[in-house]
Amino acid sequence: MNGLFGAEPIDQLATWVAALATLIVLGGMLGERRLFAWSQHLLAGLATGYLALLAITEVIVPRLVEPLAADPGGRPELVLGLGLVAVTAATPWLPRIFGAVPLSIAIGALAAFALGGAIVGTLLPQLAAAVARTEPSLVATAVSAAAAVVTGLVVVGFLHGSPRGRIFGAAATSGRWLMLAGIGGWLGYLLLSRLVLLIDRLAFLLGDWLGLLS
Amino acid sequence: MTDLTRRAPWLWRALLLLALALALLPTTDLLRLAGSLDAADGMVAIVDDLPPESLVLVGFDPDLGTYAEIRPTVRTLLADLLEHDARLVFVSLTPEGRALAIAERARLLASAVAPERLMDVGFVPGAEAALVSLARAVDGTGDGLVAGLPDEPFALGLVIGGNDIGPRSWVEQFEPRVVAVEIVAVAPTVLLPELTPYLESGQLRALLATPRDGAAYRESVAPTPLGDFDGPAPLAVLVGVLVAVAVLGFAVVSGLGDSLRSSRGREPA
Repeated sequence: MNGLFGAEPIDQLATWVAALATLIVLGGMLGERRLFAWSQHLLAGLATGYLALLAITEVIVPRLVEPLAADPGGRPELVLGLGLVAVTAATPWLPRIFGAVPLSIAIGALAAFALGGAIVGTLLPQLAAAVARTEPSLVATAVSAAAAVVTGLVVVGFLHGSPRGRIFGAAATSGRWLMLAGIGGWLGYLLLSRLVLLIDRLAFLLGDWLGLLS
Repeated sequence: MTDLTRRAPWLWRALLLLALALALLPTTDLLRLAGSLDAADGMVAIVDDLPPESLVLVGFDPDLGTYAEIRPTVRTLLADLLEHDARLVFVSLTPEGRALAIAERARLLASAVAPERLMDVGFVPGAEAALVSLARAVDGTGDGLVAGLPDEPFALGLVIGGNDIGPRSWVEQFEPRVVAVEIVAVAPTVLLPELTPYLESGQLRALLATPRDGAAYRESVAPTPLGDFDGPAPLAVLVGVLVAVAVLGFAVVSGLGDSLRSSRGREPA
């Protein structure tokens, strides 16, 4: 079902290692903490090694070293970027202003991309989609209107601290209950999804490892 | 019973594991995980409408922890796309996604899929900025930061989500810049509330984001030569849900009993 492909000895060895790791993690659920902690260290170590390998083989060498080696004078932006990284690494020994420049560029660029995308890709299209409009059928129009009303009530539910009358307060309360109902439905789905993950591990042990499942 | 639970606190958890394991053994057709097959209509229609030799950009960024939930659906969808003569171009924007993309691509290559149908752009670092570079490269206005893309138009963007850079990031960064390429997504349930609005607004053309939707999709498509990818056993899921409901019911009844006892204790004698 989900074991490693192939029937070579190395594949079988990998399946055994995966099965033992799965048993250790499930053992943590039953109270065996020492081996579980060891498995967490193993995961952290493997992840660190993998990240280092990925950074070297897919980022530093092909995107920095090779272009600079091929044309040292033709890529000033790479030299500039390398300089900023070096300054960031040397921040503890430099005046704060030097370290602030590359960090400001990194954080500012990240925030600008995220904020711009959120406005253009989420806020404006979702506002447009939340407006009630006439649809081809009466039912669809009613659903569209109901969706707009629910959206409005939930938004009102988020307005804390503003002056409220009885009607506005009732609308805010309705909005919060509607939101809670939505979160409840989602949590039900989430329970199902976590069960699926647990069942997948058990199916791996019984099927791929022990061969008890067809 | 309380004494037993105190001596062996792991007993109930062990019994749950045993019950789930036993529920995996019998095979039955009486239970189905899929609800209405209509849930998968959007994805089926889009894949069916793809012309032969279409280029599909596969943004492969699932999360290691939740990938098992969507793995059978992802494998079925990739197999179905290849069955429709699509050519897949894998790209990952997160390290975890890259690891899983390597594994899935290797699995497909081991299943005798031709390498030219499974192109690999690799890992593109830079999160949202990388997605913008990717969009520009697909749009033909690239800055050269993303290399290895074929010089042909893409017919579809398929995002396998679960990680930080998932379908939402694609909708926010990629879709406004490359309007011609529609986006479909497969994502774990944890992303359902985040992604459903995009499906309703049409920014995502199709979405499979729950075990039920995934099962509906797997039942909707014909078996492919690459295999039949089973999801979780419905009987085991049923047993697990019943246990969860029983625990919830026990907690509610226990809470009611406690509040009743404390209110009686406050009554004057």
